[in-house]
Amino acid sequence: MNDLVQLLIGGIAQGMIYSLIAFGYNITFSTSRMFNFSNGAFLMLGGVVGFVMFMTLKIPFFAMLGGVILIGICAGFIMYKTSIEPSLKSQSGIGWILATLAFGIILKNLVEVTWGTDDKKFDSPFGASTLRFGSVGVYPQEILIISVSLLIVFGVEFFKRYTILGKAIVAVSEDKNTASLMGINQRFVILFSFLLASVIACVAGVLVAPITLVSATMGSVLGVKAYIVSIIGGLESGFGVLVGGLILGISENITARYVSTGYRDVPGFLILILILLFLPKGIFGKKVIKKV
Amino acid sequence: MTIKKPVLYLLLLLPLLLPTVWSSPYWIHAIICKIMIYAILVASLDLIVGYIGDVSIGHAGLFALGAYSVAILTATPKYNPDSLMTHFYGLPFVIALIIGILISALAGFILGFPALRLSGPYLAVVTIAYGILIVTIINEQAKLTNGTKGITLEPLKLGNLALSGNNYLYVVYPFLVLVMYMNRNLAKSYWGRAFEAIKYSEVAAACSGISKSYYKIWAFVISAGIAGLAGGLFAQFDAYVTPETFSYSFSVEFLIALIVGGVQSVLGNILGVGVYVLLPDLVNKFNDYKLIIFGVSLLLVLYFLPKGLAGWVNDKLAKFFPQNLKNRTDELIKKAAQIDLSEQNNLIPIDNNSENALNLKGLTMKFGGLVAVNQLDLKVKRGTVHGLIGPNGSGKSTTVNLLTGIYKPVEGHIETFDAPLTKFTTYKRAQKGLARTFQNLQLFSDLTALQNVMVGMHTQFKSNLLSVMLGFPNVKKEEDFMETKAFAWLQFVGIEHLAFEKSKNLAYGQARLLEIARAMAMNPTVLLLDEPAAGLTTLEIGKINDIIIKIRNSGVSILLIEHHMNMISAVSDEVTVLDFGKKIAEGTYAVVRNNPHVINAYLGNSDE
Repeated sequence: MNDLVQLLIGGIAQGMIYSLIAFGYNITFSTSRMFNFSNGAFLMLGGVVGFVMFMTLKIPFFAMLGGVILIGICAGFIMYKTSIEPSLKSQSGIGWILATLAFGIILKNLVEVTWGTDDKKFDSPFGASTLRFGSVGVYPQEILIISVSLLIVFGVEFFKRYTILGKAIVAVSEDKNTASLMGINQRFVILFSFLLASVIACVAGVLVAPITLVSATMGSVLGVKAYIVSIIGGLESGFGVLVGGLILGISENITARYVSTGYRDVPGFLILILILLFLPKGIFGKKVIKKV
Repeated sequence: MTIKKPVLYLLLLLPLLLPTVWSSPYWIHAIICKIMIYAILVASLDLIVGYIGDVSIGHAGLFALGAYSVAILTATPKYNPDSLMTHFYGLPFVIALIIGILISALAGFILGFPALRLSGPYLAVVTIAYGILIVTIINEQAKLTNGTKGITLEPLKLGNLALSGNNYLYVVYPFLVLVMYMNRNLAKSYWGRAFEAIKYSEVAAACSGISKSYYKIWAFVISAGIAGLAGGLFAQFDAYVTPETFSYSFSVEFLIALIVGGVQSVLGNILGVGVYVLLPDLVNKFNDYKLIIFGVSLLLVLYFLPKGLAGWVNDKLAKFFPQNLKNRTDELIKKAAQIDLSEQNNLIPIDNNSENALNLKGLTMKFGGLVAVNQLDLKVKRGTVHGLIGPNGSGKSTTVNLLTGIYKPVEGHIETFDAPLTKFTTYKRAQKGLARTFQNLQLFSDLTALQNVMVGMHTQFKSNLLSVMLGFPNVKKEEDFMETKAFAWLQFVGIEHLAFEKSKNLAYGQARLLEIARAMAMNPTVLLLDEPAAGLTTLEIGKINDIIIKIRNSGVSILLIEHHMNMISAVSDEVTVLDFGKKIAEGTYAVVRNNPHVINAYLGNSDE
């Protein structure tokens, strides 16, 4: 029983990281029908920049976090200008997928060349010892991940509902043209959504770094899994992203424990394919009526 | 181009001389053979990305299936000492290769099903998951695959002739030529046009009688089979396979190679792979920066060369070798003179005496709480033009969508010549003789006017897939005949001078006429015209009126949905008026025009 609780907590923490990156896909998809396929590379960027500032330069944790956010905004802006804006103009169907994939591999390769290809250990600012609740041990970092993730997801939902810029985001995702006619600068809203997604991914990188290891490749797998999570939940649903993350995170941990670590990804992937076979827009996706 | 065919075939043999004149194992084996194998893989990806228009990021998995099938089936204990594998089959390479192709094709068949319902990022994620799943299973089933340690293969031999090293080119090159030849034949045939049609407008494709499921699944099967072939060749190329090779990024890199080279082009496939293989190899120092160079080149191509390197080369070449379309048009005019369009295969059985070309019985459609069409009874009499009019939002378009099967009615039945139609899907209804045009034009924009009409003739093509891919002479004959007939249909509506123009370049009125030509090319028994006069000038409307009369006189029954009263009064034998989804009047135009309900619906009631 305790074993299972332990697995669940690990799974939830893991799933929350997926949800965070997936949440980025979600925000930008709703405003622009596009997302950064390489959000995983932004997570890696956050992790590596965080490592350099915190572990190498010994900058205090919260100052480091500020630096990471700043870098996230800059990189997000460059990504938007090079990979998203051209596709917005040309309305190309798959151009953005390829462009953001390209941006991601450039980013990854840049980090490899400038920072190296080794895996490095990132110390948790809250120490490496576990907190014990009865016989269940929890890493402080896991608690941090879960709470910060929930904070970000609910914070953004609050922002969308109760601030004017947030409402503009909702308006653009409902109907771009009408939003434009109401005087909303939709280009700015789309840019903002991409910056927000990039920053969230970078912060997720700092959060996850003490649990995984920091390396140029740390984002690849996470990015793909977050993508799966966002699709399971439904690309347009913020709540769906949380559910999707939990499904994948928990199924992975349970499989790794009771079947084999090699197969840990398999149930999540199968769940994805099955869900899409029956619900092509994900669990919480909206149904659309075709008009001819 | 003026190169004669036999010369071309001789040129194709030239690469086979390479190993005898150039002994560098680096260039011949490591570079040229590799480019050839990868080009086959990229060609398979092109079928999905270029022709079907979906993104696959899982082809590494299909490639791996082919590679591992060959490796497992040909492996011997001599080359794999201390292996975890429990069985050694020791089959010959050729048999293993065929089995590998079949296994990959089967995997492609399975992948085809989610692809039917999903598109864009939703399908891309499934292909990623699928690819990773395959490689995970290969990695974990060590008893079968030797796990992470990989499998070593015996060097290939034919009698005493070693086919390893530089000689491996003799094995790879014929496959490359065959795959490219088959891909090209497929693309130029009615199969290729069906792919293109599905890509641009699924609805218009279905209304032309094309089953999306059938063609999409076949595209995935063929693509996967070719990817499996490439994988099998790859296994023997290095004579060693390991699961690491077939990663997610492998799929991504080949997707990039395809786009950089240019889709829907043999030249593009080879150029893209050429760049991918040569760039890092040319300067060794590049290897560290390989992905940066790769990513930047993709971004540059996406910006500046939307059709890829091959598109750029072709544009340059087109300047030196302008196509002589005048000659082709003249030739078609001559051939079309011998075609009699009234000699159509009539889809109605001779003994069918039904008076009703269309019979709608109590048809009802609801969207949520809104009743769009309410208990509609409507009969289109054989050989007549039946007008369907009504104010905006009266349910006209919904009725058309119900007729073509895009919506499923909540209640009611549809019959054509007394045969039930309601249970059939859109493409089946089209095959049963129901053709339509669209209020919002649904042409296949990158196809020429002539090709658009040929999509309409889709169900009249009889050659099977194998003969199409292998380019048998009867396929060419059929294609020529259909092309002539399509040209005759363009003459029928009077736009034959635009035969070789891409349909996206056509003016609005011309595009409307082209839609009618495409619908008529289907040999329909019933034609639905959805607002054919929308946005046209009086002169153009007159032209369409004449065409409608001509069509009716040829025996096709017509349901004409229109706002334009002049057109309705000029051509329709009977008129039905809808308002708020209900029929409010029916009869000849003169009778309906004076009906108080109709006047009320259009002009409002002066008493209110």
